[in-house]
Amino acid sequence: MTAAPPLPPMPFSLGYGTNGFTDHPLPIALELLAEQGYGAVALTLGHPHLDPFAEDLDAQLQALRETLRELGLRVVIETGTRFLLDPRHKHKPALVDEEAATRVSFLCRAVDIAAALDAECVSFFSGVLPDGASPETGWQRLIPRVAEIVEYARGRNVLVAVEPEPGMLVETVSDALRLRAELDEPDNLRVTVDIGHCVVVEPDGVRGALLQAGPLLANIQLDDMRPHAHEHLPFGEGTVDLTSALATLAELDYRGVAAVELPRHSYDGPGLAVRSMGALRSAWEEVHAMKERERWLEESTTAVAADPASLPRIFALAARRVGRKPLHPDTDPTGVLFGAVSDHARGELIGRLGGLLPPDQLAETLLGLYNRGDSSERRGVLRGLSALATASPALPGVVVGVGLRLTEEALRTNETSLVAAAVGPFAAAHLDQHSWRHAVLKLVFMGISLRAVTDLDERADTELARMASDYAAERTAAGRPIPDDVHLLLRSSSGYSTSS
Amino acid sequence: MRIFDPHIHMTSRTTNDYEALYASGVRALVEPAFWLGQPRTNVGSFIDYFDSLLGWERFRAAQFGIRHHATIALNPKEANDPRCVPVLEELPRYLVKEGVVAVGEIGYDSMTPAEDEAFSRQLELAREYSLPVMVHTPHREKLAGTHRTLDVVRESGVAPGMVVVDHLNETNVELVKEAGAWMGFSIYPDTKMDEQRMVAILSRYGTERVLVNSAADWGRSDPLKTRRTGEAMLAAGFTADDVDQVLWRNPVEFYGQSGQLILDPIPGFDAAELPDAAAGFEGNSVLRGARV
Repeated sequence: MTAAPPLPPMPFSLGYGTNGFTDHPLPIALELLAEQGYGAVALTLGHPHLDPFAEDLDAQLQALRETLRELGLRVVIETGTRFLLDPRHKHKPALVDEEAATRVSFLCRAVDIAAALDAECVSFFSGVLPDGASPETGWQRLIPRVAEIVEYARGRNVLVAVEPEPGMLVETVSDALRLRAELDEPDNLRVTVDIGHCVVVEPDGVRGALLQAGPLLANIQLDDMRPHAHEHLPFGEGTVDLTSALATLAELDYRGVAAVELPRHSYDGPGLAVRSMGALRSAWEEVHAMKERERWLEESTTAVAADPASLPRIFALAARRVGRKPLHPDTDPTGVLFGAVSDHARGELIGRLGGLLPPDQLAETLLGLYNRGDSSERRGVLRGLSALATASPALPGVVVGVGLRLTEEALRTNETSLVAAAVGPFAAAHLDQHSWRHAVLKLVFMGISLRAVTDLDERADTELARMASDYAAERTAAGRPIPDDVHLLLRSSSGYSTSS
Repeated sequence: MRIFDPHIHMTSRTTNDYEALYASGVRALVEPAFWLGQPRTNVGSFIDYFDSLLGWERFRAAQFGIRHHATIALNPKEANDPRCVPVLEELPRYLVKEGVVAVGEIGYDSMTPAEDEAFSRQLELAREYSLPVMVHTPHREKLAGTHRTLDVVRESGVAPGMVVVDHLNETNVELVKEAGAWMGFSIYPDTKMDEQRMVAILSRYGTERVLVNSAADWGRSDPLKTRRTGEAMLAAGFTADDVDQVLWRNPVEFYGQSGQLILDPIPGFDAAELPDAAAGFEGNSVLRGARV
């Protein structure tokens, strides 16, 4: 048996933003973070932790540098303090305002602080356009000011990183790249990406934004967010795919700091530091598991291409390599609806075989794997049929024939996970209407959610509605509750005509 | 009391039994392949049976919160029927399936040459696939059969620690203990072993390398005999830890040698009711492989 290789370390350093620890003195916050295994800190200048205008700033910086060294923490400088420069107006003056001298000189001071702390970079944002100002005016103001800061930073050997923020002039990575282009691509002007922001404003999502910034990434902020609200949330409360984000960072070989950004959660800072680290570690484990699945798929495809007779054993042993967790544990903890990761790994392997084997041999292979497989292998074959159907709308007749035979066989069983695996894309594309209706009603009867069905709305018809209605009547007559999914069938089918 | 029944034929039992097993603390079990009462007449009959053990029966057990594993083999009785023997060719592909934790039941029924042949070939398979072996001792000629069984195991080169010799009683327990194999006891209402005698054997020979099972099947048997034995042990002054060793840790250690035990609680059933289910045995991870 192949033992799973140990989890490799992340190429980047996990950090936590001090703006999520404003109820703790800075040295205590740093200790707590180091204790939880963080290797970095995103230090927000200003109240309450480090006043950039303090008279004894140099002495403070020296002490801080020593503390960071002792705790083994890397540091990035964040400059998004809300009322640092104007006690009455948040984030004012901004780099896109008419007057912004205090902002420019503050950011230059941040550069000095970064130099004194040997920080990775200074992160800054463009600001919200003031009322009445056109974007072009904004850009005209922004470009020379950033030029000045970049030039100042170059002299001190400091990187500055512009952070796109929802609602600001530089809102997306594209905008950040435009700014950089306008300045003739200065080497020390880089990009900060907040992965939560990406689900709000980035057209290609988190992964797209990270890939777009690519080698220019100098700072990452980690948090969750919902698509319609710029609100930094703890992991798991929004729609950010943390696993995909970490996988993308690893793929880019990002080696900087990636720090949790929860500026409105100081009231539970220590708790969130623990839970965030837990979420990050599980996401990283998942990244590793995904890679292991990819490796298994590559190795298996190569092995089967060289010797098709090796397939049954590879297929049988798959779960020992890739695990058998549910594919979507949050929405399908038993894995009945959407299958286990091993089912899908097997399915993907079959999808690959579609390009390797001639149709007759593929059909025969599917039949053999199913007939000689246990339930999990059979689920793998059924998911494989779906992979084949998804990849090619015009499968060879012999493959469709065998696929239908296996689908019908699975639909005759009473094993919930087999029945659920048999109503995916292959059945949606190829199963006749009569069998398909019976399959859907069987799911309802077995108490399996209709979320398992591919193209339910497209194929539901009035005959299925009639069957569902009769079933509901039977339940009512027996004094039993009617499953919610029956209502779904009655509703969703109203717009479709009977076909067979 | 958490219980792992290391030998029970659930295909012959009802869903009421599953409910009662769960309520009694049974969270995992092993169902060895055996004969069906009605003799089989062809290989296909075995195939459907094996598939059922790894498919439908495992699914059924999971519906009741119980992890189901199986052992696969041509049983000694049917090893005498030439129509059944070719099933030996089909065994290798089953021995790599998930949740197949041993080769078994093998051994002797009437001690015929055909049984000898099937026994040795299947011991070879166990060696080749690094799986433990479950050996059944004959109902008639038990002592002689046990002697011969242990000789054959010795000659096969399979390590005695990978073998459980089952259905033991007062007359042959010592032989098996001395051979270094695991001692299996089937607690039955009338025949084989009962819980009071079992407690006496445990008092005399200790709790190490002992497996207690109900061997419940389609005959007169009681799937809750494991629980009853645990209760009898407590009544006789054994500690809860002794009971846990015999009824949980021992079978986990024995079958864990396959690397194929899956013991984490079934989703939807309360993990808290099954303490340490996923823990290794005495700090060693006997539950090798991906346990997710």
